[in-house]
This record gives sequence, C-alpha cells and structure tokens, in this order.
Amino acid sequence: MAEDKTGPAGGGAGPLGRPGGLYDGVKLSRKSADLLAVCSIGLLVALFVIVLLLSDGFTVTFDARGGSDVPAVRELAYGDMLPAVAEPTREGYVFTGWYRDPDCGEQWDMHTDTVTEDITLYAGWESAP
Amino acid sequence: MNGYFKRKAEEYRALDQADRRRYWIDGLLNNALYILMAVFIVLTAILNKNFLSASSVSNIITLAAASLPMALGIGGCIVLTGTDLSGGRVFGLTAAMAAAFLQNRMATKLIFEHLPNTSGAWIIAVLLIVMLVGAAIGLVNGFFVAKFSLHPFIVTLATQLITYGIILMFFQINGNGGGPISNVAQQFKDVVSGPAIRIASKNVSIPWYVVYAFALVLIMWFVWNKTTFGKNMFAVGSNAEAARVSGVNVFRTTVLVHTLAGALYGFAGYVEAARLGSITAATGLNNECDAIAACVIGGVSFVGGTGNIGGIVVGVFVLRIIFVALNMLGINPNLQFIIKGGIILAACSLDMRKYLAKK
Repeated sequence: MAEDKTGPAGGGAGPLGRPGGLYDGVKLSRKSADLLAVCSIGLLVALFVIVLLLSDGFTVTFDARGGSDVPAVRELAYGDMLPAVAEPTREGYVFTGWYRDPDCGEQWDMHTDTVTEDITLYAGWESAP
Repeated sequence: MNGYFKRKAEEYRALDQADRRRYWIDGLLNNALYILMAVFIVLTAILNKNFLSASSVSNIITLAAASLPMALGIGGCIVLTGTDLSGGRVFGLTAAMAAAFLQNRMATKLIFEHLPNTSGAWIIAVLLIVMLVGAAIGLVNGFFVAKFSLHPFIVTLATQLITYGIILMFFQINGNGGGPISNVAQQFKDVVSGPAIRIASKNVSIPWYVVYAFALVLIMWFVWNKTTFGKNMFAVGSNAEAARVSGVNVFRTTVLVHTLAGALYGFAGYVEAARLGSITAATGLNNECDAIAACVIGGVSFVGGTGNIGGIVVGVFVLRIIFVALNMLGINPNLQFIIKGGIILAACSLDMRKYLAKK
C-alpha cells in the first residue's frame, strides 16, 4: 500500500491530495459519465418543477387575540399588498389595527407594507371608553 | 480578445465530425448548471418585477456577503480534496458566543453577568476570541486529518457533533434553559450591521459587513495566490506525495488550511450575531452545505488543486440569487432544502464528469 509510507511518520495527508482527489479510482466510461451528468441535471430540473408546483404563495394568518376570528389570506405573491380584511370585533374593546408582533409595537400599514414571507399579524385592542 | 476567438474558430474548423459533436456535448454539459440557473433567473425576473428592484439587489448583496466568509474557508478544504462538515456548527457556536459576550449590559436576562461594558476594545476582543475558538476547532480537524490520515468527511462529522453538544451546553448557562440569546448591544450592531452606504431615494442601505466581506475576499485572494502557504495548499491538493517529495510540509499545510477555515467560520458567526441580534441553538444548521455548494458551483473541484477566489465569489452570488428568486416565487423555505440537495448533487456530478472526460 502506497499510503502506508505517508502515514504518521511520513507526515503525508493520507486520503487527501491523491491525484484525482475524491474521484480517485472511479471507473466510469465516458458515456456513463455523460449519462450521470444528464440524469443529475434532469433531477434538478424535476425538483425545480415539483417545488414550483407545490408552492402556494405566502399566507398571512391573523391572531385576533380574543376577538372574532379572521380567516387567513392565502396565495399572495412576493411584494403583494394585503387585501382589505374584515376587522375583528371584541366585547368591550376597540380595534386599533394589525401589528407584526404580539406586543403591538410595530403596526402593519395596509397602504405601504408588502408581504415578503409567511407572517402572522396580531390584533391590537384598546379598552372601549 | 479578437485573436482568441479567431484561434478558437480555427481549432473548431480543424475538428472532424465526431470531435465537433463531442465539443458541443462537453460545452453544454460543463456549463449545464449555469445555463439552467440563467434560465431560472430570467424566468423569475419576468414573473416578478420586484426581483430586479434596488431593494432586492441590495438584499442579494447583503445575504451573499454574510455567507462569503464560510465559503472562503471551506474552499481551502476542498482544494485539498477534503471538506469540512463541522462548519455550520462552528458558525453557530461562535455566533452564540459573540451574542452572549456582547449583550446589552442593561438587559435583564444576561448569559454572563460579569463582563466588561461594551466598548470598541471589547468588541474587537470578542472578534478575536470567537475567531480563536473557530480556529481551535479547525486545528483539531486538521490535526486528525493530517496526522492520522483520517478522511476529513469522518473527522469533521465527529467535530460537528461535538460542537453541537457544546452549543447545547452553552445555551444552558446561567439558567438560560436553551432559549435564544438576544439583546445584543447596539454599539456592536452599529459597527457590524449598521449601514455603511445609504441610498435614501431608493430606501436601501448596504451594511458594514459587506465592506468587511469585500476586504476578506482581497485578503484571501492574496493568501491563495501570493503566499507560500497558498502555493503549498494547491501543491498538496493536486498531489500530496509529489508535494512532500519537493519539500512541502504536508502536515503543516493541511493543519493550517483547516485552522484558517475555522477562524473564518468564527468571523462569519460574529457577523451573524450582529446581523440577527438573536441566536438560537439551531443557528448555522447545514450552513456548510451552502458553502460547499457555492464552492463547487464556482469551480473549486473535488479533484483537488484547482479553484480560485473569484470562482467562490461567483458561486456564492449564484446560490444567493437562486434562493432569493425562490423566495420571490413564494416558495416555502422548507422546500428550498430540496433544491439545495439537487444543486449539490448536480454540481458534484458535473465536476466528476469533467474530471473523467479529461482523463
């Protein structure tokens, strides 16, 4: 075995740096290699197509936080604005808008904000006067 | 340039029928991945006009800059015909450490309670600490690969698991209970992910880490092309035995390549801590796969001894553009892993075919 000479004493890199590297000793005819390339590219194209077919766009879900349920909006494309949705209602509270976080720090602006990923919006409530 | 094409055309005319056919098949298959991606990118640009907008382009640049350091590190390991599967976890550990060391001292939940206040010196010190931690893990990888001739796939798979164990323990410190490490100091964010260039009219900004990544590319280009270490790395990668005979210290070169890679993951993790501001135990999972794919797409071959920094940069950008495009087409991030796997398989198949066709 040639590798034995490059063991610990020789300080060689063992499995590394053989001519041919990772493909050292691969026995494949030129035709098979072409076939392999065509198959792998074909698989990649097929995966792209499957993923595109499986994708159903972005979903915006609404957490009414105690208010009446608001159905999720589906099949939005990247950069779409959120279509108008019915405002939820809640006994004894006034709806103040939809927020990106449960703490109601950052409000979602229906006129400028665009959808870029799946997102959940949280209802903001204020005690009714 | 004109002479080059003329010469190529004459060469082509001199070929006989069978060789001409081979010429076209070779050209088509060698570039199949680029052709496929170009088609996909054009398709996305047609389907979604946002794809070519200023904010999308700046998004691609910043995402590419964040994943560049890792690809630059792993590129060296691939030049040696090896790889590094521990990269993603080292990235995760160093990101968690950077976030924990640079938490806002005013925050209520701190991982370490007795640390210096955030200052310029401490921010730089933490960078050095996390790069040293990364380098130490890389040193372990390199030592076992070079000294005991273990295959890097095995060694780095082991260190990947060991590092993950350390990450999980790290997230338990001071009663944290595995929760995310957040509340990263604002000064730290400002110097790493704060805007370096701001285009107000387009409402886009380029963060500082893009500048750092650019500097890192220049440094790595110098290391690979102008230093003895770089030349030794390519010599060992193409034929370790021949390199040893001609006086290259194969052991030291292999260890250094892995150590340098580890230090670069440390840098990447440091940037990630500032970029995200909140690090979980899952941060960095499978990041090494992106980096390996980027390198192979960019022409760093598993045959060893071939590849260049420019190719890695192109590979990183191509991969990022594909993932931004997938996102713009509304594809669930979970499904993007399927495409990643397909890209790695295709890139390596084409890489091997190229080698076999040359033989």
